[in-house]
Amino acid sequence: MSILDPVVNVLQWMNDTSMAEAIRDSIWIFPAIESIHVIAIAFVVGSIMRLDLRLAGFVWRDRPVTEISAQMLPWTWASFVVATVFGLLLFASKPFVYLQILFFDVKMLLIVLAGLNMLVFQHVISKGVAKWDRSPMPPMAVRLAGSLSLAFWVSVLVCGRLIGFV
Amino acid sequence: MIEQFTQWLSQTSLNAMLSDTTHLSTWLIIPLSQSIHILSVAVVMISVGVLNLNLLGIAGRRQGFAQLAKHLIPWIWGALIVLFLTGAVQTIAEPTRELLNLTFRVKMVMLLVTAAITLIYQISIKKDPRYWELSPQRRQTGRLLATISLVLWVGIAAAGRLIAYIDIKA
Repeated sequence: MSILDPVVNVLQWMNDTSMAEAIRDSIWIFPAIESIHVIAIAFVVGSIMRLDLRLAGFVWRDRPVTEISAQMLPWTWASFVVATVFGLLLFASKPFVYLQILFFDVKMLLIVLAGLNMLVFQHVISKGVAKWDRSPMPPMAVRLAGSLSLAFWVSVLVCGRLIGFV
Repeated sequence: MIEQFTQWLSQTSLNAMLSDTTHLSTWLIIPLSQSIHILSVAVVMISVGVLNLNLLGIAGRRQGFAQLAKHLIPWIWGALIVLFLTGAVQTIAEPTRELLNLTFRVKMVMLLVTAAITLIYQISIKKDPRYWELSPQRRQTGRLLATISLVLWVGIAAAGRLIAYIDIKA
């Protein structure tokens, strides 16, 4: 008995579902799901990148931060849901294989880090947004949060691509 | 002609360098090039997504099409240049896999159409920022172009991924 047993059981259950089996056995379901996953990731990274670049003070310095976030975050969230659902389907087809691929584990860790960075930004840093909403170069903490988010998401995308090389 | 070009490409020293899997540079350059390629796809997709949905009357209506286009179209062209360069690296590394593959060719045709639509957007708003709002016919044409562009861009991204799976020799 190990404390990981429940996790292993859930993964085994995933692996044994008829949906996972169908994805494994078909020659076209996996590529189809993967295409949707990649397109969704493109929208996640493309949209969050715009906000991050503005937060970091690199581009669109003449536009308010809140305007860009109002325009971009709906895209980010909607496509993140799609990417996660379809990513989970890909994962379910071979959970134990993916877990052993280093780039997969790093990718998951990076998504968690990006989420934590976002939580800190939302609940701590963005509290004073009124003061720097229109400022071409936001305060250091804001620029740092934007740069970190950018680094995390670009790395998520790169790790995702590298999973295919293993 | 494409066959001869493919054959010539696969005999170049650049091809030899990029396809030599015993060499470290291959294991560095190809994944790097692919990563930059997908990152540029991300830039293009969100740009054409916002732009076309605006023309369809769904996204970013506060700003208006002309203003959005002025912001976004330079990013589309910039990303397309990077996509062309990184795509060229991957094509030089594996000419047969790309150039002789029907999926790749379909992707290129879709790309030409979307590039033409982007050019039409650019020229039209230079003529008149309200070009697509001036008459019901123009609004309808705009919506048609936006729909074609959106569908084709999704098709281009999907085809890009599917080149690895669907290899029908043209």
